[in-house]
Amino acid sequence: MSDANPFRRFLARPNSDPVKSIGMAAAVAAICALIVSATAVILRPAIEENRLAARSGQMSAMLESVPGIAELLDGGGIETFVVDLATGRISDTDPATFDQNAAATDPERSTALSPAVDLAAISRRENESLVWMVRDGEEIKLLVLPVRGAGYQSTIRAYLALEGDLNTVAAFTVYEQGETPGLGSRVAERDFLSGWTGKQIAEEGDIMIDAAAGASGLHEVEMISGASVTTYGTIDMVHFWLGENGFGPFIENLREGTAWP
Amino acid sequence: MMDLFQRSIFEENLALSFFLGMCTFLAVSRQVKTAVGVGISLIVVQGISVPMNHLLYAYVLGPGALAWAGLGDVDLNFLRLITFLGIVAALVQVLEMVLERYAPALHAAMGIYLPLLAINCAIIGGSLFMVERDYDLAQSAVYGLGTGIGWALAITAFAAIRERLRYADMPRGLEGLGAAFIVAGIMSMGFSAFAGVSLP
Amino acid sequence: MALKQLSDPLIDKNPVAVHILGICSALAVTTSMSTALTMSVALTVVVTLAAGIISAIRVHIPNQIRIILQLTIIATLVIVADQLLQAFAFGMSQRLTVFVSLIATNCIVLGRTEAYAMHNPPVPAMLDAMGNGLGYSLVLMVVAAIRELFGAGTLFGFQVLATQAEGGWFVPLRLMLLAPSAFIILGLLIWALRAWRPWLAEAREFALREAKPEARP
Repeated sequence: MSDANPFRRFLARPNSDPVKSIGMAAAVAAICALIVSATAVILRPAIEENRLAARSGQMSAMLESVPGIAELLDGGGIETFVVDLATGRISDTDPATFDQNAAATDPERSTALSPAVDLAAISRRENESLVWMVRDGEEIKLLVLPVRGAGYQSTIRAYLALEGDLNTVAAFTVYEQGETPGLGSRVAERDFLSGWTGKQIAEEGDIMIDAAAGASGLHEVEMISGASVTTYGTIDMVHFWLGENGFGPFIENLREGTAWP
Repeated sequence: MMDLFQRSIFEENLALSFFLGMCTFLAVSRQVKTAVGVGISLIVVQGISVPMNHLLYAYVLGPGALAWAGLGDVDLNFLRLITFLGIVAALVQVLEMVLERYAPALHAAMGIYLPLLAINCAIIGGSLFMVERDYDLAQSAVYGLGTGIGWALAITAFAAIRERLRYADMPRGLEGLGAAFIVAGIMSMGFSAFAGVSLP
Repeated sequence: MALKQLSDPLIDKNPVAVHILGICSALAVTTSMSTALTMSVALTVVVTLAAGIISAIRVHIPNQIRIILQLTIIATLVIVADQLLQAFAFGMSQRLTVFVSLIATNCIVLGRTEAYAMHNPPVPAMLDAMGNGLGYSLVLMVVAAIRELFGAGTLFGFQVLATQAEGGWFVPLRLMLLAPSAFIILGLLIWALRAWRPWLAEAREFALREAKPEARP
């Protein structure tokens, strides 16, 4: 009974009382913070699981769409490596525990990019990156590179799968984007992505891939009308990540056979 | 910095390119006088809240932000919406008290839309964009000021058009709000021309 | 009485078309009916619960801090709703991106709690809030239906009009997927509403007069 009294006395104070104002504010803030934090903590594992499932679902869906990969996957499966981007060599970091997103914001495991080279507007680039390969013995059949860049209003994340010549696009899958629904978000739809298959990224060492309305030729993908900034976002990020500040050195080393330490 | 400033006024105009802050935009744009008043209020709130929210995010909420207190592992990112709203609401409350004392006519004209400034998507959106694009303190200040000015410009232009529309002879059902929406649609089509323009 | 609170906001006091609240999301999420439906459900749930909670403690909310308290409660509900969506309907949450968070800034929620829930008991407040949520949903679904049908030829993802890309006759009107079309459709909707219910038309601030034809010599 006496426990209820201080509480009721507090509630009985007039609303203009400063103690009551502060008390109400603190009480509401505390209860709401508790509810939000509890929800966040309880649901975090479920959300993480969803995120990972969505991502790996995207990867498998993309791989299945590439002709001829299915048999190779049965045979050898897909291998994961961690690549040191500066040297272009496979590093000895364990891919199973490597958190690339954390590395991208860690000042010790990433490099700041000057605006002149930051084609994808990502400001920091992690020093190491995951790559996936499907190999037939020593021969690379498929190389999958994670790429990301700034779109119109969000970061676009995608997987770029290159065929054995490391130049022709086998598949391009956007697995995360927050662009304008119905417009920029079409960059994640099959219609746009299927236009990448068969295109060639570079010609004689120069990255040539571009977007245009009414795309023709080996180096052009179809521009999404009404979403040019988003489409150019995907182009710019491929330019960056396949260039000398991205996977460029690694791809060169793969061609020369010096990618493994 | 100048490029960021003029971009936030024109190409990335929060009202006409990102369609933020529409409720207030449509409701208080009947007269140029009120529109200018609301515009200036928004510039003040935006110009203060974006840098303040940046400081809060950089030193309390962001991943690794509490390192100065020895809590480098704590990530309070999910609280950012509610904290930003809190800062803006406090600023708007102060603004309401100031207006009531020094500009009662404007205060009465704004009515319920003054407290609604607290949840104006343009103000919250400005802070959320600032977080997304990783601006530092100076850039946040410029961005806050720029977006505020851009929004104020848009609502003033819109109010000017609506004032003229009052004298137009149009079907009774279309008068007022209906015509305003259609004008807003045309204005936004016009501003979409700025998208993608990048100056050296 | 109860029915009136639920039915009034559907047409006569529709929050979007009459009170001009909740416009931002009406423009942004109406490009497809499924996103519009999710937003509508989320907003109706949030506004009803918020009205109920705020109404329950309304007597004890000091005037000077009322906005912040209301906002805190609303934002909490929105964050919880967003987390629940991400945990149990991940695909849909990806499509809605930031718009669920923007429910916290939706003028309808704060507008109704400030105007009604702060001054009325919980049950009427919740009914009023639910009515407004339904009114908002109605407008959203109508606009989304028009935009999706003419912008992509689909309704809820089902192809209704065969597009030329699939060998049909329909050329989608891409402008429908851009925001200016939402403005214009809303404008036309309001015109239709006011033609049907003439008392909803705004009072003129001054009388328009027909110019008398001048007498010619």
